Amino acid sequence: MVTRSPLYHRSQVDKLSLEELERYDRQLRLLGFDVESQLKLKRSRVLIVGVGGLGSAAALYLASAGIGFLRIIDDGYVELSNLNRQILYNTGDLGRRKVEVAAKRLRELNPEIEVEALGERLTEENVKQILSDVDLAVDCLDNFRARFILNDACVELGKPLIHGAIYGAEGRLMTIIPGRGPCLRCLIPREPAEHDKIPVLGPLPGVIGALEALEAIKVITGLGEPAVGKLIIIDGMDLSFYRIEVRRNPGCPACGKIKIEGI
Amino acid sequence: MRIIVKAFATLREIFGGTGILYLELPEGSTIKDLLEKLREQYGSNLDVSGFVDENPSVKILVNGREITYLDGLGTRLRDGDSIAFIPPVAGG
Repeated sequence: MVTRSPLYHRSQVDKLSLEELERYDRQLRLLGFDVESQLKLKRSRVLIVGVGGLGSAAALYLASAGIGFLRIIDDGYVELSNLNRQILYNTGDLGRRKVEVAAKRLRELNPEIEVEALGERLTEENVKQILSDVDLAVDCLDNFRARFILNDACVELGKPLIHGAIYGAEGRLMTIIPGRGPCLRCLIPREPAEHDKIPVLGPLPGVIGALEALEAIKVITGLGEPAVGKLIIIDGMDLSFYRIEVRRNPGCPACGKIKIEGI
Repeated sequence: MRIIVKAFATLREIFGGTGILYLELPEGSTIKDLLEKLREQYGSNLDVSGFVDENPSVKILVNGREITYLDGLGTRLRDGDSIAFIPPVAGG
């Protein structure tokens, strides 16, 4: 389902309108971020997998930053127990398909962009097609199994992947650029047991989802230094932050055969 | 010697409370000795959480440095060391 807003002009990817210059004024004032950076965001196509706690924050920030095309995928419906953390949704949205509510909200937030909503689950069968025409994917999933499906496809197709995950008052973040740094299977070589209905304090997926959006913006524009090969761990209970080095596993079943980019 | 163990995520729940343990260990103890002591105390619950020896998915840090870059499970501990056990998480 693709709906274009009346304000959307895909043809004008080489310039910014007066409205866009005003909308993005504060980020255009950022050192190292110019009109060309904004045009890179406008021309970019990003996949957000999961619009729960992480996906709510990531999608809102990526839409507001001016990513030209956002594809969101999630097969869930809004439930009351989602609302302590999934800030895309209101109480009045209970029972509605998440991606439909999310797409409407994101288009209202930024009518300059295109949002595509897929109300399905990411599987081994559909993952490559869903990834094929995007520049980057953001992992906002809630289980290991689907994360590995996404990781393996991103590695195979050479697409950058922003990994985020949370538990309780903790968060994790790592940026994966196939060939340049480790992938999710290098970080987590042994598949852990899945947990259903995990504890979550709402602000944590907000923090990590916002950081995932930040990493996506950095990778697309070339701004700053993305967390490639660095696992960021946040403990909200005492506000301690850890950044640990993660190396590529030469025997990694997903990325072990990719040549290292000349650095 | 006295060390501090900080457990994350699912391990925090197994250790109980805040997930922070203060332990007395003999001088010269290693990470492997610490793991054995924890297993005596918490038994099979640790294995249920995927916390088994040499599980590369659980990151072990000594004073913020991962033991892979020290001496692995043979890393010697010193009085006052802070050890973190960080299992992977999948919430979203």
